[in-house]
Amino acid sequence: MRKLLLVFIYSFAVRTFLKLIVGVKFDNAKFLLEEKQFIIVANHNSHLDTMTLLASLPSKILYKVKPVAAADHFGKSPLQEKLSHYFINALLISRKRDKEHPENDPIHHMIEALDEGYSLILFPEGTRGEPEKEQPLKPGIALVLAQRPTIKYVPAYMKGMGRAMPKGDNLIVPFQSSLRYGKPTTILSNRVEEILEQIRKDFELLKTGA
Amino acid sequence: MNQLLHNGPFKDNGLLTVIALIFGILVFASLLFFIIGKINPQAKLQEVKARTKSWWVMATVFIGATVFNTNISYIAIAFLSFVAFRELYSLLGFRESDRRAIFWAFIAIPIQYYLAYLGWYGAFIIFIPVVMFLVLPMRLVLKGDTVGITKSMGLMQWTLMLTVFGISHMAYLLSLHELKGFTAGGRGLLLFLVFLTEINDVMQFTWGKLFGRYKIIPKVSPNKTWEGFIGGMICTTVIGYFLRFLTPLTTGQVVFVSFMIAFAGFVGDVVMSSIKRDIGVKDTGTSIPGHGGVLDRIDSLAYTAPAFFHLVYYMAY
Repeated sequence: MRKLLLVFIYSFAVRTFLKLIVGVKFDNAKFLLEEKQFIIVANHNSHLDTMTLLASLPSKILYKVKPVAAADHFGKSPLQEKLSHYFINALLISRKRDKEHPENDPIHHMIEALDEGYSLILFPEGTRGEPEKEQPLKPGIALVLAQRPTIKYVPAYMKGMGRAMPKGDNLIVPFQSSLRYGKPTTILSNRVEEILEQIRKDFELLKTGA
Repeated sequence: MNQLLHNGPFKDNGLLTVIALIFGILVFASLLFFIIGKINPQAKLQEVKARTKSWWVMATVFIGATVFNTNISYIAIAFLSFVAFRELYSLLGFRESDRRAIFWAFIAIPIQYYLAYLGWYGAFIIFIPVVMFLVLPMRLVLKGDTVGITKSMGLMQWTLMLTVFGISHMAYLLSLHELKGFTAGGRGLLLFLVFLTEINDVMQFTWGKLFGRYKIIPKVSPNKTWEGFIGGMICTTVIGYFLRFLTPLTTGQVVFVSFMIAFAGFVGDVVMSSIKRDIGVKDTGTSIPGHGGVLDRIDSLAYTAPAFFHLVYYMAY
């Protein structure tokens, strides 16, 4: 039931809205069907980002992809937690590491979800920040990939979302924007800084449109 | 079904003729490029083929919406305006603080088209040039960010005029009252306007490609030549003369109006080209294969629609 609901919301309603009204140009995401499991790594400027990524996915695998979201924002109350679970299919994590208690540790949560067979959507910039400006990447993604090096990551870059709906403003003003996917890639090294550098370069490539 | 046929295109043979003509041209063009491609596989036909394909879709949608149900065409043209406005303003680099005013400008689009639907001429004609002209700066001022505000005021108004006010004249054609002895009506006029504008684009393009030598404004648009301009203009005027049955005009008037459509179409085209050159993009979007964005296709219409409308309104209504 939840599967159908997600497909209806994202593959139909949200996608139509984003395409016709907001003006998002979607990249074809059919290639994801060939990957068993992946982590989509995207830049983050707007609440529309998660919506856009989910709406871009082939409906067959939609329920298997969990966007990773901050528990302090999307799970403020039990009700909100439920809503995030039902309507965004979110994996809620805390922003801070907690090595003493693995049940609270975000890295542990993500690894767990991967081991259960889910794919993830991750915004390594963490917070949304100013529109169209990049922020330093946080090491979480690298820690996860280093522990599960066979899982491929897929870089995704969105332009214009922060203009259609920036941080701190709940009004959506249509703006010609786009989503581009890079190729599914495995990490080349096990070191955190090098993994982050690799992802940064992927973003740069997608941004300049080469 | 009876109702549909009664109000449909078959009441008026003129409309049917033109629709047949449009699809005839498309079949001819598709066949032509197919044969050229077979004879000479090296010919670079990718672009014209993509263009022709898009023409098929656009012609079908346009004719479907216009001829069978005029209410749908108000919505369809309004949506066209909306996409064109979105394309253009996204490129123009507005400030963060302009968002609220831009939202108001978006709201103005359905209002303008509703006024066209009502056929309330006075309100329709002043809503964007007067009302929005005064209201949008007010919304900008309320936001309080004065750095660059003059530019935003100017750009916003201009974008609305080009993509909404101009284009909405197409919709108003459908609201014109009936004239005695003129059966094609608003739909005929709309068909005349769109067909002639687009055929003018194609003719100027073709004549320019075949015979173009002397450039008109090389700094703005290197493809625009005197040969293309004059050849296209003559063709358009001649075609307009033969389509007189779609309008309530006399022979002299229809020749003059066709000539003006050709001229206005050219101006709209180069005005849009100059803006694209200024911003540094080739096309305003990617929504129509082979043509670029919606705005790339309707740039001429933004000029021909008001020119045609007011000429006809003055001469016949």
